[in-house]
Amino acid sequence: MSEAAAHLHWHGPGGLEQLEFFAEGMHCANCARSIRSKVGALPGVARVEVNLTTARVSVAWDPQRSRLRTVLDTVEGLGFHAVPLNGAAGSDAQRAERRRMQKRIGLAALAAMQMSMYTVGLYVGAWTGIDPWIEQLLRVTAMLIAVPVMFYSGAPFLTGAWHDLRRRSLGMDVPVAAALALAFVASVINTFRGSGQVYFDSVAMFIGFLLVGRYIEMNVRRNSLDAGEALVRSLPATVTRLKPDGTSERIGLQQVAAGDRLVVPMGAVIPVDGILEGDGTLIDESLISGESVPVARASGEALPGGAINVGAACTLRASRDARHSTLASMAALIERAQAERPPQALAADRAAAQFVAWIVVLAAAVAAFWFWFDRARAFEATLAVLVVTCPCALSLATPVAIAAATTRLAKRGMLITRADALERLAAVDTVVLDKSGTLTSARMQLAEVRCLGALGREAVLRLAASLEQHSAHPLAAAFTGASTDRCPVDDVRERAGQGLEGRIGGELWRIGRREYVAELAAAQPAAAASEGSDDFIWLGSSAGFGAAFAVTDALRPDAAAAIAALRALGLTVRIASGDRRSTVTRVAAELGIGEASGRMSPQAKLELIGELQRQQHRVLMVGDGINDGPVLAAAHVSCAMGGGAALAHAAADLLLMNESLLSVAAAVQTARGTMRLMRSNLRWALGYNLCAVPLAAAGLVSPWLAALGMSGSSLYVVERARRFATGAT
Amino acid sequence: MSIALLLIPLGLVLLGVAVWAFFWAVNNDQFEDLDHVAEHALDEEPAAPALPKSPP
Repeated sequence: MSEAAAHLHWHGPGGLEQLEFFAEGMHCANCARSIRSKVGALPGVARVEVNLTTARVSVAWDPQRSRLRTVLDTVEGLGFHAVPLNGAAGSDAQRAERRRMQKRIGLAALAAMQMSMYTVGLYVGAWTGIDPWIEQLLRVTAMLIAVPVMFYSGAPFLTGAWHDLRRRSLGMDVPVAAALALAFVASVINTFRGSGQVYFDSVAMFIGFLLVGRYIEMNVRRNSLDAGEALVRSLPATVTRLKPDGTSERIGLQQVAAGDRLVVPMGAVIPVDGILEGDGTLIDESLISGESVPVARASGEALPGGAINVGAACTLRASRDARHSTLASMAALIERAQAERPPQALAADRAAAQFVAWIVVLAAAVAAFWFWFDRARAFEATLAVLVVTCPCALSLATPVAIAAATTRLAKRGMLITRADALERLAAVDTVVLDKSGTLTSARMQLAEVRCLGALGREAVLRLAASLEQHSAHPLAAAFTGASTDRCPVDDVRERAGQGLEGRIGGELWRIGRREYVAELAAAQPAAAASEGSDDFIWLGSSAGFGAAFAVTDALRPDAAAAIAALRALGLTVRIASGDRRSTVTRVAAELGIGEASGRMSPQAKLELIGELQRQQHRVLMVGDGINDGPVLAAAHVSCAMGGGAALAHAAADLLLMNESLLSVAAAVQTARGTMRLMRSNLRWALGYNLCAVPLAAAGLVSPWLAALGMSGSSLYVVERARRFATGAT
Repeated sequence: MSIALLLIPLGLVLLGVAVWAFFWAVNNDQFEDLDHVAEHALDEEPAAPALPKSPP
């Protein structure tokens, strides 16, 4: 752990040391509470944050008063294993955990099958008569198989219950372990006595079904953790720092301090906020502001961390250290929003803890009653109650329905990043759509051509396409399909953020911003030329302006159909975009959406969502850019396009990997189906328990029948989920 | 019924073989990716190394 801890452990502000890790073995609110209180009680610990959904723990402490080792030992002492969050070590640990789980399930399943054959032999023997030595042989063989099942496959429940008891709390593992221990010990005693019932097959079956439930739950959680990691990964791990003597060195991102001079190569992410030095460059701020068109920055201007340098390599003087950069603070904002648990989930946790307490009380009461009434039957009745009430179907009902929905959505190109997203998605009544990258694709297209000189439409398009084929600027892509033939261009020169010039047939042409072209044309275009929009690309030569091109991002082909599908589900659709009002109004009119607002800052979007939520609306936000990150996190439930920025992914509950807006409606539909399935599964499990518990308490159910009923009800729940996943229902 | 003395240990051995085979499969990544391996046959072949030019 120590070397793995090294890269997750850094010196934070105020002289505090910080550590982030993944607490393996945490699966209930009790576990989270015990970490918070035990680690928080160590001397010098300033802050402990535990995220139950992702099992992520973050600790900050004073290194003078506690050592890293002490913090880790405390966590391990509580029965959790501290696993590094990111890097190869983290995924290796997760993979090892998954494999251990698979082996445990496999062993329990194979052993249960084998032992059920012996049990059939024993029951048939009890009916028709059996040689005592064969009966004993079957018992002993079953015991031999049961030992590894109990102590290898059942280990998570036994150790979990042990740690629960040491923490003096009642987790889900306590009644499970009690039932297992009771059945196992009684069977071993009966085997040595050579008479009475053995329940080894029930033990194996019980362990197997519980493990399957845990395994499904683990996979659902892993998906959500992976999505959170995407956030950290969008930042570079190392950066190049220029030393005062002119040489350069590679340092970790965390080591960047204000005042450092950093080299940002072309195409790289700008690691921290800073001031540009030397030559100007072109940056793509779409990650930060959602602005789809790259902007030019001159020497001395501020560059925000998280933007992408699409121009030449440049030098940056860091104005803040990495922990306080724009991207880092946005990441922190999202992280905090994610750490908050929705109230329904907390209520479910509390209900489960209470349920466990009631099971233990009930089992004790049943044991006491039978001990007084009919001592011979006390054991069987108590065991039957513990097994029959095992919240198996009950605890499986939710995770299997979610796993099934996740599979069903994944098959259609949608990814759920948080386990409770479906629950919230099903309740949505308003959809707020971002425009750029959501309703429109990032691909630029030519909206309008205005000829200003003597040349016709075909001629100016040919000139523009010929010039722009030499540019890597995203706007240049709009001209690619505009004209099929190209003229040869000489002396091509590009001025960052301004435009491009080149000689065609002896004549020098420029394409780009108005001022840049006007320099060459020595004239200004007629005022009428730019009417209606302010975002034109101009073309001109020394003879004057030749043409103006309006470039816009293209509406997705399925946008109209998607809006109609959302309306058919009874949802209200709105647009909230950071783009110009005119553009937003045009798109809204095209799609027939009445409620559209443009020029919205991330703050304004947050306020809009807050306002809608105050009006008791449940809002689904669909967006893409990083500036949507906080907005996505604030919405009731959020959805991001797979092609959008990595940060939006991390904050979004649902990712559309297929980039099809129609999926949004399909997702809402699936979510509603999932909730129906979940509710009917819960009703079924509850109904089963209500019928079975009185029978078991009355001593009418033998343990094998209890295990069979428990298994049957679990199988029924799983089978329905499987049919839902394949789309059969 | 003394055949049980042979058959039951035999069953135990078979169970051992089955568990061993399953553990082997888990350790050898047989369950790591259940969805996409079947599509590998459709993937592009990795580029074949350039053949040394034969003398004319």
